[in-house]
Amino acid sequence: MDIRELKRLENKRKMNKGYMWALFCAVLWALWYIPGTIIWAIPPFDTMWVAIDATNGASMATLIVAVLITAFNALTVVIALLIWNAYLGKFGELKRTLKELRPCSKWFFLAAIFGGPIAILGSFIAIGFVGAGFAAVAALMYPVIGSILARQWYGEQISRRAAFGIVVIMIGGITIFVGGALADLAAGNVSWIGYLGGLMCACGWGIEGAIAGKGLDIAEPDVGITIRFIGENLIWWIIIIPIVALAGYPIIEYAIAALNPLSILVLSFAGITFGYCYVTWYKSFPLIGVGRGQGIANLYGLCAVIFLYLFLAQVPAWTVLIGGALCVLGSFVMISEDTGDMESLRGE
Amino acid sequence: MAGLRPIKFRLLELFSDEKEHWNNEIVEQMQKEYGMNSNFGRDSINFDILELASGGMLRSVQSKVDEDGVYKKGFLLHKYAITDFGKTRASDACLEYV
Repeated sequence: MDIRELKRLENKRKMNKGYMWALFCAVLWALWYIPGTIIWAIPPFDTMWVAIDATNGASMATLIVAVLITAFNALTVVIALLIWNAYLGKFGELKRTLKELRPCSKWFFLAAIFGGPIAILGSFIAIGFVGAGFAAVAALMYPVIGSILARQWYGEQISRRAAFGIVVIMIGGITIFVGGALADLAAGNVSWIGYLGGLMCACGWGIEGAIAGKGLDIAEPDVGITIRFIGENLIWWIIIIPIVALAGYPIIEYAIAALNPLSILVLSFAGITFGYCYVTWYKSFPLIGVGRGQGIANLYGLCAVIFLYLFLAQVPAWTVLIGGALCVLGSFVMISEDTGDMESLRGE
Repeated sequence: MAGLRPIKFRLLELFSDEKEHWNNEIVEQMQKEYGMNSNFGRDSINFDILELASGGMLRSVQSKVDEDGVYKKGFLLHKYAITDFGKTRASDACLEYV
């Protein structure tokens, strides 16, 4: 075999690996919506909602419960990630990278701000106010923001074909989103805070991906993502939870009450799916680029709809099916791209 | 060893002499410095080089087939050089760049 052929093969292997990581991410991400939905009905989160609803109204109750769930989500995710790093033997590298605050880990802490209190909280708000199916598809818009920022900030190339795939995925996402909102409007009951939550996921995740890319340039992804979640835990448990408690909400009491076997089980499932979905998400970026990584991972929208139907018997509307089909189509447009001559993803 | 920096920092530092280096030589040196002597350690360091290359910080200037099995027999060996973007990121990382 001549060297050119070997080189082409090697490059193809690299791209395929990147796409594989992104696909794993899609499946894990979609699975996360199951514990993300169930947790609301599990003690003490159900009684917490009822208690706050009685004093501060339903919207505030949903919001405060969403804060506590997101904080616990961050906690179980970081545990899952620390186990992963222990398995890979990367604690040394974790310590080394953490120490490089100025050049490197500050980017992960910044990414944590957009990923945690904006994107993930937005997700739970959307789940709480509208529903998991909506929350899943609302975030589908995030690659638009991610790829535009990646292009602006570090001149990442987006081929015409990849751009076309992204556009098809977007149209699919919008079909699902608008279909749901129209049905809501017809029923005369639109949960605007939920839709705002949906917007928060899309913007938060898009910005997070692009910022994280800056730190990922010079860090290992497994380590980078763990630092990002350490940052998110600090934000929740050191800043936001105490503020909510000081504001007079009984959040600490319920946080302690949440340490029961059933809610620990569901929260661990959320931590495992979400933690490893992030691992695979970050792993795909250096191999196929932020824009493409996010585009393929977007298949989670369709997977989530399927899983929610299978496990929670939530039947999707026809707009969801059409939109989902478009998402698959768009992702295949991106995957089928011939990557043979692509040496690097960045312009020089 | 005290004062080790993150692996990718050190990789960029090694390439900051602006010379071209074969991946197997760099991997070998890194394995010694970081005490990562297993096959897993080797592949993990090599993957970091791949990531730096696909991130546009290193570019592959030459390849040859590993006929003698100095790294992995039958696979490609790559010779890399640092790019301008790589230099920028290296100096962001406060490497002493001359």
